[in-house]
Amino acid sequence: MRKAILLAALLTLDAAAQAQLPGLRRRAPVPAQPVLQGIDALRAEFAAQSGGTTVYFGAENVGLSVPARTILTAQAAWLRRHPEVVARIEGYGDAGDTRDHALAVGARRAEEARSYLVLLGVPAAQLSATSWGKERPGLGRAVTVLVR
Amino acid sequence: MKRTAFSVLLLGLGTAAQAQQPGQPAATVIAVPPLTSPTGGSRGNEMLAVGWQVTQQIETDLRQTAEVMPLKPNRDDYYSYPEVTAPNFSKWRGAGAKALVTGFVQSRSDGRLTVGCYVYDLDKGRELARKGFVIGPNDWRRAAHKCSGLAYTAITGAPGMFDTMVAYVAESGVGDGRSRRVAIMDSDGYNHRYLTPGDAMVLTPRLGPKAARVAYVSFAGGKPSVHLLDLESKQDRPLLPGDAMTFAPRFSPDGARIAFSMMIGANSDIYVANSGGGPPQRLTTAPGVDTDPSFSPDGSKIIFESDRGGSQQLYVMNADGTGQRRISFGGGWYASPNWSPDGEWIVFTRRGQDGRRIGILKPDGTGERILTNGPGDEGPSWAASGREILFQRIGPTGRSALARIALDGSAPRPMTIPQDGSDPDWSGVMD
Repeated sequence: MRKAILLAALLTLDAAAQAQLPGLRRRAPVPAQPVLQGIDALRAEFAAQSGGTTVYFGAENVGLSVPARTILTAQAAWLRRHPEVVARIEGYGDAGDTRDHALAVGARRAEEARSYLVLLGVPAAQLSATSWGKERPGLGRAVTVLVR
Repeated sequence: MKRTAFSVLLLGLGTAAQAQQPGQPAATVIAVPPLTSPTGGSRGNEMLAVGWQVTQQIETDLRQTAEVMPLKPNRDDYYSYPEVTAPNFSKWRGAGAKALVTGFVQSRSDGRLTVGCYVYDLDKGRELARKGFVIGPNDWRRAAHKCSGLAYTAITGAPGMFDTMVAYVAESGVGDGRSRRVAIMDSDGYNHRYLTPGDAMVLTPRLGPKAARVAYVSFAGGKPSVHLLDLESKQDRPLLPGDAMTFAPRFSPDGARIAFSMMIGANSDIYVANSGGGPPQRLTTAPGVDTDPSFSPDGSKIIFESDRGGSQQLYVMNADGTGQRRISFGGGWYASPNWSPDGEWIVFTRRGQDGRRIGILKPDGTGERILTNGPGDEGPSWAASGREILFQRIGPTGRSALARIALDGSAPRPMTIPQDGSDPDWSGVMD
């Protein structure tokens, strides 16, 4: 207990003081202050401020609807504020489609969303696009933007 | 087709020769007396035991077909060795058979076995075919498949599909955690094994000639990409370098090339690449989705699907990309075409309000026939015989299984696999 209190006290020391105690620093790997938020926190913030991570397409459709554009516009604003975050856009085909056509349709939907984000000023290098076709249940017709 | 008609005539197919099963058209009845052996002594008894195993396997093989109906072999129908080349025609005619397959198993001094097979037309009292081969002592199953193929070909004129392999995607688990592995087995279900570890999603395994290599789509790199796996060396490599999204691979009949789809931006086009490596050549340029290429058996043409006209339809082109023209006009969407090994038919998945069903049409677009009732059928692949089609069927419970259907209009039958499965591909004959 006493040790813990001592450690806590040491942790509050400023950087210069810590530099003089290299042995103790090794025993206390917890950084004095958080440098980065965790990916989950970023994802939560992204989802909350963009109005959602997912945009939906009509069946057999690869065009962006008005609600989809609204969400992507908010996503683009957030991504421009966070140029250090890389996003992958994952397209999903329709469950009733055939396997390879669904894969291509998913890729087209992902590409629609990706190019719209680029149009809104998100650097292309910050984005990639892929497709799950109809292989993941429950998410047909949607393009999810994940942040990593 | 002409050859088929000839063979059936040759066997003198009359009403008596036809076994009528409910929902099944006529089949040629064939007698399968036990294989015998010229080998003497205790070794001879061993050979007779192997012969009996081969006999039972031949019956199992032929019973899977819609065209040939084997009589149940009886171990007491003992044949002496000379009888193999001089069967008792009238006895088997009396049993209702129109054809007969039998043979012998002989031990060799090197420990291997010689298996001989003979097929007879009982009405004409003459030999239709014979074949002999040397096999390892434990390869009797493969020998049986070859005998079955010999009989099937003699009767129907079509290549046998017993000595073939089936690759498919084995599925287990539920939801996003569903594990998928490329699996391969003999077409009778034996020698089942997994070729990929299941840590990445896989799709559409396609076998090369003699099932020496398999091309499939792997999500291991985050994006779907075509991989090539050598079954002997277990070496696995991406078909192309880089991170382009590639999918829907199919080998050319000689195995030298692979046609596939590549996604560039929002456009999926068909490309062909040397299966040994090298840059891809672009074959289609239409905007939209061009995918699922399949070579004609002579390698000169490619059938594929394209939604360039607004909906998915089937198109034929020369293997260099020239002469593209639409061949499907039946209404609905047409997808996943596969060219039959005899070149006569294209099998496809047709998608409409009533779900997905399997059908066939001629390469010129005529003669369309829908074979299955759906609603969850897709991914058809031809048997080497060109008489049967293997496909994926999602049942009412949502589980995915493999089923086969013959062109003669008989009902589809399940192909047994150890778990759920999708994307089947049936190899050509192994020799």
